[in-house]
Amino acid sequence: MTAQQRSTVDADLHLLDRQILDVDGAPVVTVGDIELTDIPQGQIPPGTPAPQITALLSGAALATRIFGGRPPARLLHRIEWKHLAKIGAAIELSVSGKDLVATWTERWVRDRIISRIPGGTHDPE
Amino acid sequence: MKGLLGLALGILTAIGGFVDIGDLVVSSVVGSRFGLNLAWVIVVGVIGICLFAQMSGRVAAISGRASFEVIRERLGPRAALANLAASFLVNLLTVTAEVGGVALALQLASSVNYLLWIPLAAFAVWLVVWRVKFKIMENVIGFLGLCLVIFGVALFMLHPNWNDLGGQAAGLVSPGSEKPATYWYFAVGLFGAAMTPYEVFFYSSGAVEEKWGLKDLAQSRLNVLVGFPLGGLLSISIAAAAAVVLLPAGIQVTSLSEVLLPVTEAGGKLFLAVLLIGVVAAVFGAALETTLSSGYMVAQFFGWTWGKFRRPVHAARFHLVMIGVLLAGIGVLMTGADPVQITEYSVIFSAIALPLTYIPILIVANDPEYMGEHVNGKLMNAAAIVYLVLILAASIAAIPLMIVTGAGA
Repeated sequence: MTAQQRSTVDADLHLLDRQILDVDGAPVVTVGDIELTDIPQGQIPPGTPAPQITALLSGAALATRIFGGRPPARLLHRIEWKHLAKIGAAIELSVSGKDLVATWTERWVRDRIISRIPGGTHDPE
Repeated sequence: MKGLLGLALGILTAIGGFVDIGDLVVSSVVGSRFGLNLAWVIVVGVIGICLFAQMSGRVAAISGRASFEVIRERLGPRAALANLAASFLVNLLTVTAEVGGVALALQLASSVNYLLWIPLAAFAVWLVVWRVKFKIMENVIGFLGLCLVIFGVALFMLHPNWNDLGGQAAGLVSPGSEKPATYWYFAVGLFGAAMTPYEVFFYSSGAVEEKWGLKDLAQSRLNVLVGFPLGGLLSISIAAAAAVVLLPAGIQVTSLSEVLLPVTEAGGKLFLAVLLIGVVAAVFGAALETTLSSGYMVAQFFGWTWGKFRRPVHAARFHLVMIGVLLAGIGVLMTGADPVQITEYSVIFSAIALPLTYIPILIVANDPEYMGEHVNGKLMNAAAIVYLVLILAASIAAIPLMIVTGAGA
């Protein structure tokens, strides 16, 4: 995208708390927060490049948005910005959500509980 | 034919949602104490739920986003989480009331104590949620729930004095000797029974489940405009039947059997049998809707996969939430808490929680980024603002009225 084409995207309105769908249209997670490249503290040396969005965050990002604080990086689930395909009423990814770290609780509940209950793996009839 | 099938969604939501255990109980209580004095509240409630469901159905069809996704996005995580907690608890109370209602109806049908029916009823609800397709669920339940029309038939067979009933409905005659605060407390209760938030979660999520698009909008309008007034009419006949039979005899509605008494009085055991089928179907349908709604709202808040159209393994957390809710409901009921009383509280808390869902939907229905050219029209917004005032008033007044009247005692 060139500078001329750039339009205003309100991070609060268009990114935060928006539903993320994977390439098949299945819900993945809701955007908890946005990861930026490092912003130097204090004096900003001349010529420093502007911060850029590197990833959408979920996991502990929701709790820190509500309660504040800074969680350890391993509790933040990242979805790389390069996987984004479209920003609309939902954010669409160009990859499958099945193996993303953001959906590990889904896999855990599926493998430990739901798939062990009879009928759980069948289509509804 | 597709139109007819689609209409079933409206009718299910109307009967399962409009005439659920809350409506059965509160309409009877009100009819037995105030005659038809409060019938106007049902009319106001019907128009309100038509408006609200139509709006949320439209948001879901155009943007593909269901209610709680929209709520989280508009309110931000903090307010939306508080909203989720409140809506979830009110909904849990309603699930509990509905499962208890199914058990009470089965007790009347079988003479087996309702406490024994509770685990079975909850298990049946879970089984349908787990295995049965959305379409089949809504059609079967919607069809059987129509047995409740027997309330209307019974009303005619009781040969009521129509002038009396008309006078009560017009507010010319006040049959009871109730205090004004009690009158308004039950007005809030009836309003809450008519406009329960779960109907909206269910309706908008159902629209996504059935993959509604732009052209389904007209159908959605038809669903709402046929389905809900039908439910409202049933609700008024329940109150009228109670006004004819229970009020003159001074019978207080304290259990489900008093709710059913007018129909038995009119048509004996045969009518009672038909009625019990209708009650079990309608309340069971509402139990399904509320259970699903609890899964919908949590999954949509966190952005999980959800929906009955997926296999349970593809919406694992969604199904886990619903299992948890049903187990919690069983737990509450097994303490011996009276399902009829739980119902009376659940409708009041529904009225209290209603603005939490109504306001975000109203905002998004006016947002061109979601809705494009299909934002609310001027007329729709005028009506929506009037209802915003009513909903806020009912919500604010509910707790003071509850305290003043001792919960309508």
